[in-house]
Amino acid sequence: MIHFDNVTKVYANQNRPALDHVSVDVDKGEFVFLVGPSGSGKSTFLRLILKEEKPNSGAIHVAGKDLARLSNFKVPHLRRRIGCVFQDFRLLPNKNVYENVAFALEVIGKPRRFIRKVVPEVIELVGLEGKAHRMPDELSGGEQQRVAMARAFVNRPMILLADEPTGNIDPATSIGIMKVLDRINRTGTTVVMATHDAAIVDSMRKRVVELEDGKIVRDQSRGVYGQAY
Amino acid sequence: MRANFILSEVWIGLRRNLTMTIAVIVTVAVAMALLGVGLMINAQVGLMKTFWSDKVEVSVYLCKKDSPFPTCKATPKGVSAAERGQLQQQLGALPQVAQVLFEDQAMAFENFKKTQSANSILAQVVEAKDLPESLRVKLKDPEQYQAVIDAAKGMKGVSTVIDQRAQLENFFGMLEKLRYAALAVALILVLAAILLIGNTVRLSAFNRRRETGIMRLVGASNLYIQLPFVMEGMIAGLIGGVVAAIMLIVAKVFLFEGTTSAFAVNSQLGWDSVAEVITLTMVIGVVICVLASFVTLRRYLRV
Repeated sequence: MIHFDNVTKVYANQNRPALDHVSVDVDKGEFVFLVGPSGSGKSTFLRLILKEEKPNSGAIHVAGKDLARLSNFKVPHLRRRIGCVFQDFRLLPNKNVYENVAFALEVIGKPRRFIRKVVPEVIELVGLEGKAHRMPDELSGGEQQRVAMARAFVNRPMILLADEPTGNIDPATSIGIMKVLDRINRTGTTVVMATHDAAIVDSMRKRVVELEDGKIVRDQSRGVYGQAY
Repeated sequence: MRANFILSEVWIGLRRNLTMTIAVIVTVAVAMALLGVGLMINAQVGLMKTFWSDKVEVSVYLCKKDSPFPTCKATPKGVSAAERGQLQQQLGALPQVAQVLFEDQAMAFENFKKTQSANSILAQVVEAKDLPESLRVKLKDPEQYQAVIDAAKGMKGVSTVIDQRAQLENFFGMLEKLRYAALAVALILVLAAILLIGNTVRLSAFNRRRETGIMRLVGASNLYIQLPFVMEGMIAGLIGGVVAAIMLIVAKVFLFEGTTSAFAVNSQLGWDSVAEVITLTMVIGVVICVLASFVTLRRYLRV
């Protein structure tokens, strides 16, 4: 599903590569934690998958497509198959829960009838039934992140990228967020989650890829956050 | 493509940037109105030139008895009929000349009365014998007057040569300067409009960076993301164009009809050419706005 082959990314005006000869494979339906200190290349990894950045060398395949050969014109179609969740939720403050989720479908031109059918389903999936007409500022952080996850998942993407989704949320609420991510993963969606949260990684017992200074220093199935000595 | 959705985005964008939008509309309107006035002056000058060139002739005035002109010293008794015939023949032989007509004192007096009818005192004082005889030279090509004037000036028995065209040239020259001034100001304003539109679109894009960020993220096509911004520019350009059209119609009624009736009754700019100018300026206004929006978006809404 996601295939990195010897990928190096150096940002302009920086001599140290953000990613340094990284090769990794993520299969369909997998749940992968991306761990490592700040600046280790986790976000770059996610941005490369979205083709928000281009690698300096190496090949990236996402959902069977070679990103180097994907024309800019087709990048939006790639992104429709990838859902994204961020630490800062990125909701539209002047739209309610339903409208925030529907927005993702409206802007890719889905018919209204389809939107009316699928949006309530997804809101229920993330556990926000009955709150469809709340505004984002009336929701807790955890609930806002659920809205963001509903929006990321409403188009049934093949891949869900989560960049520190629990970074702004207390540990108790984080468990609920992880349950939603797990539920999404069980529908067959590949999930890649970058995180600092050791407790969560340890409790989930999923595959862990650890980055340090742009290099993969560990790739372990059913891993934990810290090095298992 | 959901028209409703895009239109509501456009409306939100225009409302949020109301002052900038108004600035764009005013600038585009004034720029396009000036451009239109320049084009209309252009058309007017062309019309008047063709109108006048039929009527313009070179007048070769002949020496009268005791004429004070220094060139008349050689013929103190005035030009005789034989000398006149010779002059007429010489002028007619010039390659640029189409026809030479003789205007005697009686005819000159008739013309004088016609043109000076408003000035009754002058008309009463002047008599036919006060006026000079002249040869009216019609040219094949009105632009070729200089050679004829030079030739006629050297001829014996000629007091003065007056080219009506030279007098008209002054008037046309003034109109031409006006046109260049209008076009120059229009050009500057078009530049200002482009910068203003760029700024407006940039503000608009900044105001809606959350929305556009999410749109990019969920895979909205570039067209879908950019269309609301481009349409904002287009609508501002269109409104500016309409305002410019109104200004041009007002200019046509009050400026052009007022001045042209004083100079040449039959050479008024028709409404069809005004419509042409209006269409042209509107299209230019909208195209400028759309292009300016588009170019700015390329810079501020990277995919």
